[in-house]
Amino acid sequence: MAASVRHLLKPWTPSLCFARWSRYNPYYLDPDPSKDARVPDSELSPEQKELQELKTVRPIKAALSSDTSSPFNDPLISKFINMMMQDGNKILARGIMTQTLETIKRKQVEKYHRSPAAKRLEIECNPYTIFQKALENCKPIIGLASVQKGGKSYQVPVPLTDNRRRFLAMKWLITECRDNKHRRTHMYEKLSQELLAAFANEGNVVKRKHDLHKMAEANRAYAHYRWW
Amino acid sequence: IQSNGQQLEAVAVETASAEPNPLSVFRTSEQDPTYHSEGHTGQYYMLPPAHIQKLFPYGLPPRFQLQIKTFNEGCVMVRPPALELISYLKRADYSKPPLRYVLYGDIGTGKTMSLCHALHYCYTQGWLIVHIPDAHLWVKNCKELLPSSSRPSRFDQPIQASQWLKNFKITNERFLSKLKTTQRYVWTKRESTEKGQPLGELIDQGVNRMKSSSDVVGAVLRELRLQAGGATEGEGAFKLAVAVDGVNALWGKTSLKKEDRTMCEPEELTLIHNLRKMMKNNWAPVMICCACCIDLLKGLNIFALVLFPPPYLFMPSVFQEGFDSMEPFVPVSVSNYNEKEFESCYLYYLDRNWLQHPHSRSEEGKKELIFLCNKNPSILERLCAAL
Repeated sequence: MAASVRHLLKPWTPSLCFARWSRYNPYYLDPDPSKDARVPDSELSPEQKELQELKTVRPIKAALSSDTSSPFNDPLISKFINMMMQDGNKILARGIMTQTLETIKRKQVEKYHRSPAAKRLEIECNPYTIFQKALENCKPIIGLASVQKGGKSYQVPVPLTDNRRRFLAMKWLITECRDNKHRRTHMYEKLSQELLAAFANEGNVVKRKHDLHKMAEANRAYAHYRWW
Repeated sequence: IQSNGQQLEAVAVETASAEPNPLSVFRTSEQDPTYHSEGHTGQYYMLPPAHIQKLFPYGLPPRFQLQIKTFNEGCVMVRPPALELISYLKRADYSKPPLRYVLYGDIGTGKTMSLCHALHYCYTQGWLIVHIPDAHLWVKNCKELLPSSSRPSRFDQPIQASQWLKNFKITNERFLSKLKTTQRYVWTKRESTEKGQPLGELIDQGVNRMKSSSDVVGAVLRELRLQAGGATEGEGAFKLAVAVDGVNALWGKTSLKKEDRTMCEPEELTLIHNLRKMMKNNWAPVMICCACCIDLLKGLNIFALVLFPPPYLFMPSVFQEGFDSMEPFVPVSVSNYNEKEFESCYLYYLDRNWLQHPHSRSEEGKKELIFLCNKNPSILERLCAAL
C-alpha cells in the first residue's frame, strides 16, 4: 500500500509541457475553501462519502491567495477579475469589479425607489444575480472551428464545453468594453452598461452571440467534417 | 441636485400616501434639528429636499450626494458629536466674543456630516451661514492664479471665489437685500460700489467680474463681521455661523506655484488671508465658528500618505501655527460608530434595499462586516456598496 502511494507521488513531470498549465502532480486534489456546514455522514451518498475520505488521505494543492473562506467569495467574479487583469495588477482589476457592481446596484436601486409599488417586484437589484444572468445570456451554445479538408479550410459548427462558453462570454464582454466604447468613460461605467443591457438581452455582446449562432446555422452543411 | 429636488418631492409624496410606514426603530419623525436630543442618537432623520437644495448645493460629501440620489431621500444619523455642537450653539452667550469649535477625528468618522447637521440647525433657526465646503480645494489644483488687483504681493483665485459667491447667494438669499455696505469699495477706475448698497449687488459684482471676485469675497466677509455684531435692532439683527471644512488647509503648505516656480505660501492667497481673519476671535460678538479638520494630534496617518504626496502634508508646521491661531477652541471629538449606531446603519441599508448579497443579511454576514470595517462609517459605506 505504502509502496503504491509512493509510486504515485514520484517526482512527476508532464510528458507534454505547456507554458501556462499547472505543474502539480495530478494526484493532488483541488482545495475547497468554503466554510460549508458539514453535512453529517448519514446524509451523504456513497460517492460523496468516498470523496470525503479521499480528502482526509490525499494531498491537496495550496489555496490561491485570492480565495477566501467567506461566503462573499464568488468563483465566477474571481474568474472575471482575473480575465480583466492586465500586467498582474489585480488590485486595479478588483477595484474596477467592485465599482461595476456598485454602479449596477445604484442604477437598479434608484429605479426601484422611483417606481410605484406595483412595479417594484420586477426590478432586480442584486448585482450578483444580474452579473450571472447577463453572463448566461452572453454564452454561445454552439461554436465554430476551422477544419482543413482538401486544401481548403471550412468553418465547422462544433459543440463547446462549459468552460469554453464561459471564457468566450467573459472575453467578449471585456473586449467590447475596451474597444467599442467612448474613450473618456471609465471601465466600470462601460461594463455596467453592457451588463445591464445583456441582462435584458440587448446590447452588442448578445448581438455577437447571435451572429455566431447564425454563422453556425449557415454552415450546417459542413457539420459532418467534424470527426471528434 | 437642482433637478432632483422636484423629482424627490414628487415621489416622496407618492410613497407617503401609498404606504403609511410604521416608524421603524432607526428613524425619527423629528425633522427639526432643534428638537433632537440624546434620545434620538443612532436614529436617522430626513433632510427636507427643499433645504438640501438651498443649504447644501455643494456642501455635502460627494458619496453622500450619490446616496441621496440613489435612495431618493437624504437621511442623516443623529450622533453625539453633532448633538454636543448643537447644544453648545444653543447655550452660547452671544454678548461675548465668538467661540470656536473644532471637530476632529480619524478619516471617515463623520466630521463633515456632523458639521452639516449643525449647519442645518443654524439654517432652521434663520442664521446667516458662511460655509466653505472644503478649504483644501482653495489651496491646491487651482487652474488660474492671478496677481491680485488690489495688493501687489497677493494672488487671486477667480474661479473658486466666484463659485463660492454663487453658492453663498443661493444659501443666504433673504439676507442679501437687508444688509447694506458701510464703505465705498473701488474695484477699478470705472467700477465701484457705493456706501449703503445692498449686499446682493456686491455679490453680483463679484460673480460678473471674475477678476475682482476674490476681493469681493474679502469685502463680503468684512461687511458681515462689522454688521453682525452691531445690530441689536429688530430688523438688522442676525446671527452668523462660519463653518470651514478642512481648516488645516489654511495653515499648511499649498501646492500652487508662482510664476517663477517657487511655492506659494497660504499667506499670499487673498481668499486664505481673509478666511484667517474670520477665524480670529477678536471681533464683535454674535458670531460662532465651527471648523472641521483631520486629527491634529495624530499627525501623518497612513491613508493620508498614500492619497496625498508627502510634501503637501507638512503636519508639524500646521500643528504649531494653526494651533496658535485657533487657540482657545472647544474640541469636539468624532469617532467610529458604537454598536447601537452600527445596528441603526445596518437596518437603514436593509430598509433601503441596499444590502443585496444574501449572506450580508444574515447574522454571520453582519459580524463579518463589523470585523472588516471596524465600525468606521465611510469604510462601511464603501463595503456595503459592493455587496
